[in-house]
Amino acid sequence: MTGLAELGWGGVAASLVLVAVAAAVAYRQRLHLTRELIIASARAGVQLIAVGALLLVIFAHAGLPGGFAWVVIMILVAGQVAGHRGTGLPRARVAATAGVATGSVITLGALLALGVITAEARVVVPIGGMIVSGAMQATGVTLRRLREDVQQARPVIEARLCLGLPAREAFLPHQRSALRTALLPAIDSTKVVGLISLPGAMTGLILAGVDPLTAIRYQIVVMYMLLAATALAALATARLAEHALFDHAHRLVPLPGPPGHGM
Amino acid sequence: MTTTSGFLLDQVMVTRGETRLLDTITAHLPGGHCTAVVGPSGAGKSTLLRLLNRLDDPSSGRILLDGIPITELDVLDLRRRVGLVAQQPVLLTDRVAEDLRVGRSELGDHGIRELLQRVGLPVEFVQRRTSELSGGEAQRVCLARALAVEPEVLLLDEPTSALDGVSSGVIVEAARDHVAAGGTVVLVSHDLAVVRGIADTVLVLDHGHLIAHGHPDEIDYLEAGR
Repeated sequence: MTGLAELGWGGVAASLVLVAVAAAVAYRQRLHLTRELIIASARAGVQLIAVGALLLVIFAHAGLPGGFAWVVIMILVAGQVAGHRGTGLPRARVAATAGVATGSVITLGALLALGVITAEARVVVPIGGMIVSGAMQATGVTLRRLREDVQQARPVIEARLCLGLPAREAFLPHQRSALRTALLPAIDSTKVVGLISLPGAMTGLILAGVDPLTAIRYQIVVMYMLLAATALAALATARLAEHALFDHAHRLVPLPGPPGHGM
Repeated sequence: MTTTSGFLLDQVMVTRGETRLLDTITAHLPGGHCTAVVGPSGAGKSTLLRLLNRLDDPSSGRILLDGIPITELDVLDLRRRVGLVAQQPVLLTDRVAEDLRVGRSELGDHGIRELLQRVGLPVEFVQRRTSELSGGEAQRVCLARALAVEPEVLLLDEPTSALDGVSSGVIVEAARDHVAAGGTVVLVSHDLAVVRGIADTVLVLDHGHLIAHGHPDEIDYLEAGR
């Protein structure tokens, strides 16, 4: 291995010079960002060292169960973060967590079952992290879009219900629009991958000394798995949100925020 | 229990928080007739209308349709029997023809032309974009869309409030035709001239209370508008 594999702590310390350069620019230009920049840099260092140490322990002692436990924690945290985007929707955090879990578990499970990745903690954790992150973004976008749509489109949804349409059909156009919004970024980045940017997984592997063709194979798998995770997470979230938005009599439940229905 | 045609409201109460939007309303809205619900803004007229197709449920009391509590009917079936046209026209698709098919996908071209005629719109409107319709035209398309499902009961919530004379006249005429064909109409309106013109029975609401109920000739509230 060559390149970054040889990077030692001395190298990391030396790279602090670059933080000093950025801080100097901020200071000289009176951006009032110097303090924030230094704190952010220190925080990033501490966070990454802590995560690195934790992963070291997991990889060395906890094995595959520890890796899966780590993925579960990531799913729970991602569910909370994505659920926040749907604040105002009933049971948004539950829908988000279940959505992220669905997308992540199926995608990761498929990769393992098909033998695409090996069942080792050092593989499951980083791959799981990428999957959960993609699922979280899709889930957050889905919930935000649904909330905006439902708040604005209550008269439209009720007009469909008044024609005797069941809740699912009355809600379908809004669900489709939320899913499109959630999936388009993943599809777009899949389209231009390698042309506009060399994505993270590939860059990391090349820096670590892996030959580009191997790195590309990994990246292709990463892109495909992100598409699956995004689609599954968004769909599961939208279905769960729909379930929470309508009662047994096919009625849209009252929601906080504009515009409610009057008398 | 003898079967009563139309809607029977039995001690119906709707509360939201501390407020009583409807307070112990008991009334019969007879089938095959036009019942008008009148009263000042905030009286609870639209609240009452939303109960009849179960867009809302009463906090207490019950509502019967043809002698059967509406909570015992399949709600989707109820909504197909009891169509509602809202105060503000809401169009659901890009083209008029598609809009008319939302509640009845099997509706053919002939059926669509017939519906357009019933609401006084020329047949060329079939391919018209819904975004190009005026307020009156949009409201007439909404009425036609409700009629497409062939409801027994037509609920009209201030259907003429924002419309020109021609569109208002068409909607009143369609309501009259619906009753003439044996259907039931429940009309919420501020337009007392319209109410006097088509209502067989009038309910007057004020602050959620039913303060008068009877034939239009017996209702003093309607005299105020003369």
